[in-house]
Amino acid sequence: MLESLQIPGLGDSSLLGLLIFWIPFIIIMLYGQRIQMYISLGEISRSLNKLKLMKEKSREEVIDFVSKISQSKENLSEKIDQFLEYFTIQPVNLDPAGIVKKIEHIVNVKDDRMRAEIKQLVSSATDVQTSNIENVIEVASALNYYYKAVRHFYLLGKKTMSYIWIVQLQMILPTILEESNALMKAISAFKQSQPIGDGIGAMVVGKMMIGKEKKTVAKETAMSESEYKGRGLYLIKAEGPGGNVGQPGNAIARMIDEMGIKIDVIIMIDAALKLEGEKTGEIAEGVGAAIGGIGVERFKIEEVASKYNIPLYAIVIKQSIIDAVSAMKKEIAETTDKVIEIVKRAVEEKAKEGDKVAVVGVGNSVGISQ
Amino acid sequence: MSAITGMKKSSKSVVYTIEECASCGLKTKRDFQSGDYVYKEGGGCTKCKGKTMINMIYSEKVEK
Ligand SMILES: [Zn+2]
Repeated sequence: MLESLQIPGLGDSSLLGLLIFWIPFIIIMLYGQRIQMYISLGEISRSLNKLKLMKEKSREEVIDFVSKISQSKENLSEKIDQFLEYFTIQPVNLDPAGIVKKIEHIVNVKDDRMRAEIKQLVSSATDVQTSNIENVIEVASALNYYYKAVRHFYLLGKKTMSYIWIVQLQMILPTILEESNALMKAISAFKQSQPIGDGIGAMVVGKMMIGKEKKTVAKETAMSESEYKGRGLYLIKAEGPGGNVGQPGNAIARMIDEMGIKIDVIIMIDAALKLEGEKTGEIAEGVGAAIGGIGVERFKIEEVASKYNIPLYAIVIKQSIIDAVSAMKKEIAETTDKVIEIVKRAVEEKAKEGDKVAVVGVGNSVGISQ
Repeated sequence: MSAITGMKKSSKSVVYTIEECASCGLKTKRDFQSGDYVYKEGGGCTKCKGKTMINMIYSEKVEK
């Protein structure tokens, strides 16, 4: 009995015991981490291949989409490759005062240049098509960037055999792959101009704007005036059905500063990322500026709200990152009427008769008009 | 593993367009067509000849 429990190689000095126990033990002791790294590198390399396939597929999708609209294939792929490599240099943040203005400027320059070049490439494109092309290119360049960044750290890890690079990369890869899958779905939604989950805010306010006169109050941003139980409503959303996000921050600032409209309450409706375990299409209410993106619009709304002491209320519709960028799910679309009821209730509760309320539907307006 | 991939293949998302009649409230669900967008005026209502409007476009999982 004891005999069989003995660690081989200890009791007897047979060569076999030495081979089957001590040699692997020493190898693992000395090279365990290295072996682990090779396994990790193999896993990363498989994910990298997936990313490469997605990147190539998205590039083809963009070329296919643009060539269908332009009807000419002349140096199209060359131009699109150039688009995909486009970069934006963020302003220096050593002296952060006033940086939002600089970011806004750079983002505007980028947008305008992109649009102008798309128009040049596809002169027959309508505004809706131009927005959709811009969106599709943006998504494809994000995929292109993901691939290149992961490849960079993979090669760096392989070259230096540094545990830190490899393990960090391995840890974030599942998230990157999930986001990349979401982006692939976004391309197909934008190509067909289908509403995406992120557009739920625009869909809610768009419904309230039906049949009302629309004014353009900021770049690609529509506004309608309405009334509910004696309270004046100013409904704001990005102009659809092209894929725009508009400039709700500029719109509100302009309405107050230039148009002389005294806003008493701001209500914002937007899609929000749900936590794992939360249900898609859950509605939550809170305070603050519900708007994502790079931060410029949020900054502007917060600035205006604090300057004039306007309370900011937020209504959000929960969804995952995949839901937000792919064709809108039924559970999300069906919240529209419920959210409108919540908006009406909020208007009644938060504003007195005669008050003016700005209702902002935040989100990408692809496939959603007003 | 094959069970997982097999499951993924059997449920596919389809995008539908929902049109609603303003006068009688009749809702019709059809496949999404290129050119559809939310709040676009649709054709006449099949029941009362009233005006219809697309009020939702959404994707739904269908088991195949
Ligand atoms: Zn009808």
